[in-house]
Amino acid sequence: MEYETKSGRAGPGNPTSPRQSVRKNLDFEPLSTTALILEDRPANLPAKPAEEAQKHRQQYEEMVAQAKKRELKEAQKRKKQLEDRCKLEESIGSAAQTWNQEILPNWSTMCTSRRVRDLWWQGIPPSVRGRVWSLAVGNELNITHELYNICLSRAKEKWKTTAAPTTDTETEDIGSSDRESSLELIKLDISRTFPQLCIFQQGGPYHDVLHSILGAYTCYRPDVGYVQGMSFIAAVLILNLDTADAFIAFANLLNKPCQMAFFRVDHSLMLTYFAAFEVFFEENLPKLFAHFKTNNLTPDIYLIDWIFTLYSKSLPLDLACRVWDVFCRDSEEFLFRTALGLLRLYQDVLTCMDFIHMAQFLTRLPDLIPAEQLFQHIAAIHMTSRNRKWAQVLQALTEQKRSGARQPGAEALS
Amino acid sequence: MAYAYLFKYIIIGDTGVGKSCLLLQFTDKRFQPVHDLTIGVEFGARMITIDGKQIKLQIWDTAGQESFRSITRSYYRGAAGALLVYDITRRDTFNHLTTWLEDARQHSNSNMVIMLIGNKSDLESRREVKKEEGEAFAREHGLIFMETSAKTASNVEEAFINTAKEIYEKIQEGVFDINNEANGIKIGPQHPTTSSILTSGQGGQQAGGGCC
Repeated sequence: MEYETKSGRAGPGNPTSPRQSVRKNLDFEPLSTTALILEDRPANLPAKPAEEAQKHRQQYEEMVAQAKKRELKEAQKRKKQLEDRCKLEESIGSAAQTWNQEILPNWSTMCTSRRVRDLWWQGIPPSVRGRVWSLAVGNELNITHELYNICLSRAKEKWKTTAAPTTDTETEDIGSSDRESSLELIKLDISRTFPQLCIFQQGGPYHDVLHSILGAYTCYRPDVGYVQGMSFIAAVLILNLDTADAFIAFANLLNKPCQMAFFRVDHSLMLTYFAAFEVFFEENLPKLFAHFKTNNLTPDIYLIDWIFTLYSKSLPLDLACRVWDVFCRDSEEFLFRTALGLLRLYQDVLTCMDFIHMAQFLTRLPDLIPAEQLFQHIAAIHMTSRNRKWAQVLQALTEQKRSGARQPGAEALS
Repeated sequence: MAYAYLFKYIIIGDTGVGKSCLLLQFTDKRFQPVHDLTIGVEFGARMITIDGKQIKLQIWDTAGQESFRSITRSYYRGAAGALLVYDITRRDTFNHLTTWLEDARQHSNSNMVIMLIGNKSDLESRREVKKEEGEAFAREHGLIFMETSAKTASNVEEAFINTAKEIYEKIQEGVFDINNEANGIKIGPQHPTTSSILTSGQGGQQAGGGCC
């Protein structure tokens, strides 16, 4: 299970192995005291005076007592960790059952209920995650498996025709050279998608699937084509859904207004999104907002990566999936709320940093991010500003822009 | 840490030419054969010494895909130096240099020093662009030129440091107005104890917002 490998890899150095093997059935025989043996002074040296011997014995006993205490504490901590993990697994198991038996069969009536929404917030169990995402994202585009296969075979045809003359560098027709480079680029980027997982790289089990989905998409939406960042979204979907269903979810996800704005690199609309984000940033975290302003740290510096890849590149994968869970429930608003949650979580650290350190920190978040804490911080972010919700703020800013009015944020970026 | 000057650099060039790998080699002295894709912009920083002066380099490493050009453009502002990178094993990355250069000239300060870099010089057997071609392009457009290998670290230090030397010389000659931060140069805090470093960082996004 992903959770385990991740926490195992990242966990603090475990005790040395010989000790560990004994530790299994000991609860408090304080092993570390075996090194603490009180020995008499060697025979070739004069014996200790009684007072000193007494003092040493006393010190020795104190050391042993302390070691015992420490061991006991550690044993309790381990026990608690084990219990927590069991509890977590149990709750995932029972949640999976609830999703499978109660919620999924009655999706349309239950998906908006309070209980389901709460359960949803806690994270969808991995075994039903893909199905819930599919249902939540929907299929407005009415893409069928057949359509996917048609797009895929078109893509394959193109690969065949462009694969032959790759050596020739003079392409007369700009259009075809662009398309060619887009296909080339997909190849280049697949190996750079989650390289640490080693499953999308050449020869890896998901290499061809990722290639297929991205290729099919460029045939489905030639006007959008392949844009960097897409490979991460497709990869996360592949990990949770069968290929054709992953494609359907992928195309529908990218068709959402925020994703379309970003993947078409509609710069002016992106700036509107950033401006809306800044409204809620200032509202929720005024001090940090002022600090960012003083340092000229604009949202495009960190938000672009977060929004383009839906956090899959910047957060640990299991945590990114939890963000996706609620993103599927709450739409684009949740992406920006997550950003604010992250900023809130690291507010104290960021306030002490200068521009370059903040920029580096935000574009390369810590490897270990406490999931529960992050979600608490996200929950503490209010997505209302002067009684207006996200969509209203965005709408107002869009209209403002349309009527040519200047707005904060825009001048800094344009 | 105290520094005499701070220079903002931007690394540009087609996707996959090794921009992030050059940066990683320069800042961390290591090479990652499969680097993560850069979306938007990433950052690096390192202190160097020129003429006995501590100079802090603040480096903006940008995404290379054509579609992102409109985003990258806003990152030029306030850059004192640019590393324009192509891949010697991919002719098309060399062919695109003209458009990169146009973009750079148009969106940056006219004194910005541009270093042309032909990267992946370790892959001699797959070379598609001759060294002479790179030199000729640089000469024609008034750029400094070097071939580097982020993998073997060959010329990587030199590329970053020579760019800084050129900027430093321009400062000495009075070409750069160092009091105008839009030039991508910032004078270090005179009294490090007041920790003005913490408040002096600049995103280089606003008009007049320079480099730091």
